[in-house]
Amino acid sequence: MKLIRSTKETLVFQLGPREKHVLLEVLKLYPKIPPAHQPLSKSARLPEQEASQRLLDDALAEQRVENKAQVQRLLSDPRRFATHEKGWRLSLSRPEVEWLLQVLNDIRVGSWLMLGSPEGRIEVLTEQTAPHVWAMEMAGAFEIAMLQALEGGSEK
Amino acid sequence: MSTGLAPLVTWRPKRGPLDNCGLLFYFPAMAATATPELRPGVVETPKDKPGSGLEPGYLVICWNDPVNFMDYVTHVFQLVFGWPRKKAEFHMLQVHEQGKSVLTRESLEKAEHYVHQLQRYSLHATMERDE
Repeated sequence: MKLIRSTKETLVFQLGPREKHVLLEVLKLYPKIPPAHQPLSKSARLPEQEASQRLLDDALAEQRVENKAQVQRLLSDPRRFATHEKGWRLSLSRPEVEWLLQVLNDIRVGSWLMLGSPEGRIEVLTEQTAPHVWAMEMAGAFEIAMLQALEGGSEK
Repeated sequence: MSTGLAPLVTWRPKRGPLDNCGLLFYFPAMAATATPELRPGVVETPKDKPGSGLEPGYLVICWNDPVNFMDYVTHVFQLVFGWPRKKAEFHMLQVHEQGKSVLTRESLEKAEHYVHQLQRYSLHATMERDE
C-alpha cells in the first residue's frame, strides 16, 4: 500500500491486487475488541461508577455499530477502488483515513486480546493462533502506511 | 483551583465585653458587630463535594501495552487533545518508559469524555480520582 497522491482533503493509495484482497479481508473482521472490555477506572472510587461504566460501554457499542455499517458501505462501494495498471487506487478523505485507523487498530488490539495479550512476539503459530497473528500484523501494516501518509501531509 | 465563586472575605465576630465576663450566656448572632477581615492572596473555597462532578479532580491516565504502535499513540494524543506533536510524543514516551502517563486533570465529566475518546481509538486509558 503506497501513497501516491496527497492533498489537503484526500489521500490516494495504490494497492496491488493481493493487498486489496488482504485489506478487505482484514476489514471484514471488525469489530474484534469484545464489548464492555475496557474499565472506565482501575479503582472503584468514582461517583456513580456503575452507571458511568454502562454509559461508556453503550457509547462504545454504538460507535462500533456505526463503524461496522461504514465498513460495509466501504466494502460494497465499487467506485471506491479504481482499477489501475499496477492494481488498484483507493481514494480516501482525511477523516476517512482517521476513521479507518480506528477500525484497523480495533482489529489489531482485538486480535492481540484473542491471543491472550502476549508481552512479546508469538514465536510458534498454531491453528488457533495463526488467524489472530495474521489479522494483527496485517492491520498493523495498513495502519503504519496510513499514519505515514497522514504525517507526510503536504501535497504531492 | 478557584471555582470563581469563592468569597475573598472571611468573617470573624468582634470580641466584646461578654467574651471575658466568665458568664455562660453569649449572643453569637450579633451580626452587626462583625467586621470583615480582608486577607489578600488567600482564597477560601468551599470544600469539594465528592461526586459533584464540577471539581477538576480526576486524572486521565494512559497505560502501556505492547500492542499499540508508538506513532499511533502519538497521533491519537494529538487528535484527542489537540496537542502539538512534541507534547504528544513526550506523553507517549512516558507511557512507554514508565508504564503510564497522566495526560490531564479534569472535572468528572471532561475526564469521562477524554477516556471515551481514547478508548474509541483502543488505547488503554482510565480515569482515577486525584487524592
